[in-house]
Order: sequence, then C-alpha cells, then structure tokens
Amino acid sequence: MMKTGRSQFWHSDGRRLSGLSTLLLLLPFFAIIAFVFVYPILQLLVISVLEPHPSLDNYARVVENPVHTRVLMRTLWIATLVTALSVVLGFPVAYYMSRAKGTVAALVAVCVILPLWSSVLVRTAAWSFLFQRNGLINSALMALGLTSEPFKLLYTQSAVVIAMTHVLLPFMILPIYGALRSIPNDYGRAAAVLGATRLRTFLEVILPLSLPGVVSGSLLVFLTALGFFITPALLGSPQEMMISTLVSKQIREVLDWPFAAALVGVLTVFVTLLAIIFSKTLRFDRLMGNAS
Amino acid sequence: MNIASARQSASGASIRISRLEKRFGAVSAVDGVDIDIAAGEFIALLGPSGSGKTTILMSVAGFEFPTSGTIHVDSEDLTYVPSNRRNLGMVFQNYTLFPHMSILDNVAFPLKMRGLRTAERHARAEAALATVRLAGYGHRRPNELSGGQQQRVALARAIVYQPRVLLMDEPLSALDKNLREDMQLEIKRLHAELGITVIFVTHDQSEALTMADRIAVLRDGKIQQIGPARQLYERPANLFTAGFIGEMNFVDVRDESVGDDVAVALPWGETWRLPATAAVEPPAAGETAVLAVRPERLQLGASSPGHVITVTLSDIVYAGAALLLIGRLPDGTEMRARIPGASQLSSLAPGDVASFTIPADAMLLYRGKRR
Repeated sequence: MMKTGRSQFWHSDGRRLSGLSTLLLLLPFFAIIAFVFVYPILQLLVISVLEPHPSLDNYARVVENPVHTRVLMRTLWIATLVTALSVVLGFPVAYYMSRAKGTVAALVAVCVILPLWSSVLVRTAAWSFLFQRNGLINSALMALGLTSEPFKLLYTQSAVVIAMTHVLLPFMILPIYGALRSIPNDYGRAAAVLGATRLRTFLEVILPLSLPGVVSGSLLVFLTALGFFITPALLGSPQEMMISTLVSKQIREVLDWPFAAALVGVLTVFVTLLAIIFSKTLRFDRLMGNAS
Repeated sequence: MNIASARQSASGASIRISRLEKRFGAVSAVDGVDIDIAAGEFIALLGPSGSGKTTILMSVAGFEFPTSGTIHVDSEDLTYVPSNRRNLGMVFQNYTLFPHMSILDNVAFPLKMRGLRTAERHARAEAALATVRLAGYGHRRPNELSGGQQQRVALARAIVYQPRVLLMDEPLSALDKNLREDMQLEIKRLHAELGITVIFVTHDQSEALTMADRIAVLRDGKIQQIGPARQLYERPANLFTAGFIGEMNFVDVRDESVGDDVAVALPWGETWRLPATAAVEPPAAGETAVLAVRPERLQLGASSPGHVITVTLSDIVYAGAALLLIGRLPDGTEMRARIPGASQLSSLAPGDVASFTIPADAMLLYRGKRR
C-alpha cells in the first residue's frame, strides 16, 4: 500500500492530471462538506460559548443538571447496547453471506440491503404497530398462553433499542461482510490442516482478520445511534429521552439555542474523542498486513 | 548410509489411494484413481487444469471427501477423517501465512494447536525457520518478506510438527523463474533431509521431471501413466503422455503387418520396417497409427543407420544449446529437429531441403490418429 506518495488523479491513458484539474474535481465535494457540515457545526459551537454572553455557562448547565447528564448517559448506554446487539446479531449473518453461494446468497443480501431503501420513519412506524397494546407481539404472546395481560412494549427503552438495532443492523453487517469476504478460503483450510478445530480456526484466524470490519461497523452504528432522532422520539418514553430529542426540544419548544448548541458541542467532543481513540489504538493497516 | 535409510523409513509414511472417485453433479473430477506411494517417496501429480490432480490432493488433505474409494496413510484409513486430525503438512500456492501473526507465531501455530507451551513452541519454530534458512526472521510480519521467503516460511510451518506426509499444491507457481529454481532445490534438500513423503501437484512438467521420483500424469480424472521421469520421457505409454511431456513429432501412418517387426506405410508412399519394440500400443494390420519421434533424436544427414526423411525447412531458430529446425515432410506434416552444436549449420536457410536420419530405437508407435 502506498501511504507516503501524494494521491493523484490519472488520465485513462496513464498521464497525470494537472494540480489544477485535480483541485477542480475535488472542489465540489469539499465545498459541500464545508458549507453544510463544518460551517453550521462551528456556528453552533460559537453560539454555545458566546450567547447569551461569552462564558461556559451553557456547558455548566449540561454538566450540573442531573436530568441532562442522565440523558447524556442514557444516550451513550443505548448506543452501546444497540452496537453490542448489532455485532451479536450481525456477525453470523455477515459470516453466512460471505460463505453462501448462488440464490441463497443473493436472497440474504437482498434481505439485508432492502430495508435500507425504505425510510427510517416507515420502519419505525411498523415497529410501533407491532409493539402496540393489542399489536401482533402481544396477541401472539397471549395466544400462546405465555401471558394473560398484554405487556407494555411501546414507549419503553427496550422498544427503542430493538427498533434502532433493526434500523442500524445493515451498517454493521456490510462492513463485516466486506472484511470476511477479503479473507481467502485457503486461510481456513491452512488452519485446519495445521491442526485447528473449526472453533480454533474461527477464533485464531477468521475473527482477528474480520476485526477491522467489526470495528468500522461498530463505529458506524455507535456514532449513528448517538444522534438517532426519529426512532427514540416515536417509540421511546418522554421520561427517557435521548440527547437528540432533548436538543430538538430545546430548539423547537424552549427556543434555547445556546443551550442546544452546548449539548451538540458535548456530543461532538464525545464523537471526536471516540474516533481518535479508535484510530490510534487499532492500527488497521497493521492488522490486515498492509503496513509498508 | 544405513543410518540415513533407517531414518528415512522411520519418518515418511506410505500412502495408498484406491479406486478414488469424486463427482461434482454429472462431472467426474476424479475417475477411479489408484496410486501407491512408498514411504519417503516424492511423487508429482502432473496434468492440465481440470485433470483432477488438485481434487486428489484436496481429498488426501481432507478438504474434499471422495464420492467413493479410500485413502490410507500407513494402513490407517483417513478417507473421511477431518483435516485437522490427519497430521499432514501442506503448502499452498499462495503461501497462506496468517497476516495478523508474526513469522514466528505463524510457524508456531500448528504447535499451539497441539497444546505445546509457549517456550517450547517458539524454540521449535525457531529451529524450523533455521531449516529453511530464515533464522532471525521470526519477529517480522509476512508482508515484510518476499514471495520466496514467505513460501519458505510456509514450508517451515508445514514441517515444524514433523508430519510424515507433505502435500504441496503448486507451491512454486506464484514465484518468478529464478526463485522457483532455488525453491525446487530447497524442497529437494528438505525431502532428502527429512525423508518425508511428498505429494506435489503441478502443471509444470519440467518441475515434475526434475523434482519427483515418480510422476503421475493425469487427464480427465484418470491416470494416463505413472512412472519415473526417464520412463515417461523415453517411452510414454500413450499418445496423450507422448504429446504432454516434452516436445514430440507425430506422423500419421497405416499399419501393414505385425510380426517380428512392424511394417508401416508412410503418407508419402514409403514403407518402413520398425522393430517390434517400437510399438508401445501395437496396432492391428490395416489400422491407422501414429509414429512419434523426439526432435532431439533426429540426426542431420543420411549417413547413419536408420530411416531417412526429407524435410523442406521453413524456420531456423537459434536456441542456445541447440539449433531448432522446423520444416515440412513431403505430405505437409510438420517436423521439428533440435540439432546440438549449431555452429557448423550456418549454411542452412529457409527453403532448403534437408535430410534427417531417424534411428530405429527413436521411433514409437501408437494406435489412433494425431490430434
């Protein structure tokens, strides 16, 4: 892998593009990132420390009010739970996808990818039907005689976790699948002929080599879960808010922009720290044997 | 000598493959193969792709279970035993070193699977690395080594637990020519040192001829011929082997009579009498047959004993040790001759008609027609 060389665009005939053409090709993308992402975030951070007057008062409110810290902790906890569940549920599917062939493989792939094409709102609404007092899940439980009274499922944290896991699962499965697919079949055979049982082969060879996929899937799911809005808002209990609901409340109901901005600031710091920790502790290139 | 041979019989295992068959749906990848391999023997499975050589190896390794037939190693039936309990060594085409482990951990991996303590398995892995002349490379990562070095590590990993059989699946085909020759010698040396039984799959005939004690030539899942290199080269058992191993000239003929000698009618009207031993597959009188001659057995000129042919030369190629002459017989059949000591032949030019003598013992006769 080239790491030190300057990345370059090339003509199809192998000539190198001039610096100016390279710049022009990259400009639209970076312009969009700058205007719709970097600028608003910076603007929010500025508001959070400058309004109503220059101080860290808004941040103090986040940290000092136990209601707000609880929301923050709950958000982190739910994101962790959803990530863990996604790994546990997603890995076997990804593993199966990477081994399967023909129609079965195509069918599984469709099942994984198809939900991505429908909106999160639709999928969340579907869950709220299932979770209702007289919804499918409760009727089934009662029909089976497992319970006489319907459970309270809707507007609970469990409902949020289950639905979020469902929505985010493809983002876990696809990176793991990619990592597993890039492991040559001969590695498993080599391990077997060298004396490894199936379990040892998996633990010593397949799992370590698929770890980059697990980590990037986890990062993707965890970070998305931190800022999830629709699902917790529709399926969760108002007493058990997640941070995005709190932010939205501050902006739309309380109209306290500086405080909402401080909440976003705290979230941004968390996300950035996490990304840095992951990239520092796990040397993916090394793990995959691409270090040069 | 005695000690060496005693060690040899102690460390290699004999292998018996009987009536092996492997079908994938309607296709027979392996179709009734029998091979008996002596303890310590180096055997090559040679054939074009799709000949079944790899499937045989996969069955011995335990990655494929045969449709029928048996595989015995030292009289133990391994046909349906899982790979991890066969205790065989194997080297793959693409090294298959685990990229997330150091070289030492790669070589120690099979020992770890066998429950050895860290200190002992590292000591043994170091020793195995020394055998393939890579002592001191243990702390490196696989991708920090060249292809040839990686394959030597794979070799060390395959022998570190002292298996009695070493399987090799085209282990040299990913290496460039010079490295390949180094590795051929390395593998030969290890084979001699360890006395291990080797099954070596290749599609490269020169590799098979130089390395193996015996070669099994395969086509369409069947063994065409099995024997030492000299036998395969000098007396191929059938037309396929004759054409597959080395260069060969073929001339369509008709058999006229069989007796103490064989009379064949050549396409340009002559009749030759060949010794009965020339008929590898004796044709019946009146049947079509193919006469086969190696290019290096043709002698320029008509002075020596044997049958004389006249060839209209079309190409004269300088090929280092020998001069390659390509031309056509009177009926248009292509004929190649390799003449050593090329310098005196500079007078020949394309378009010339040259006479060659074919010694009687250079001719082989097979049933059928040339392809």
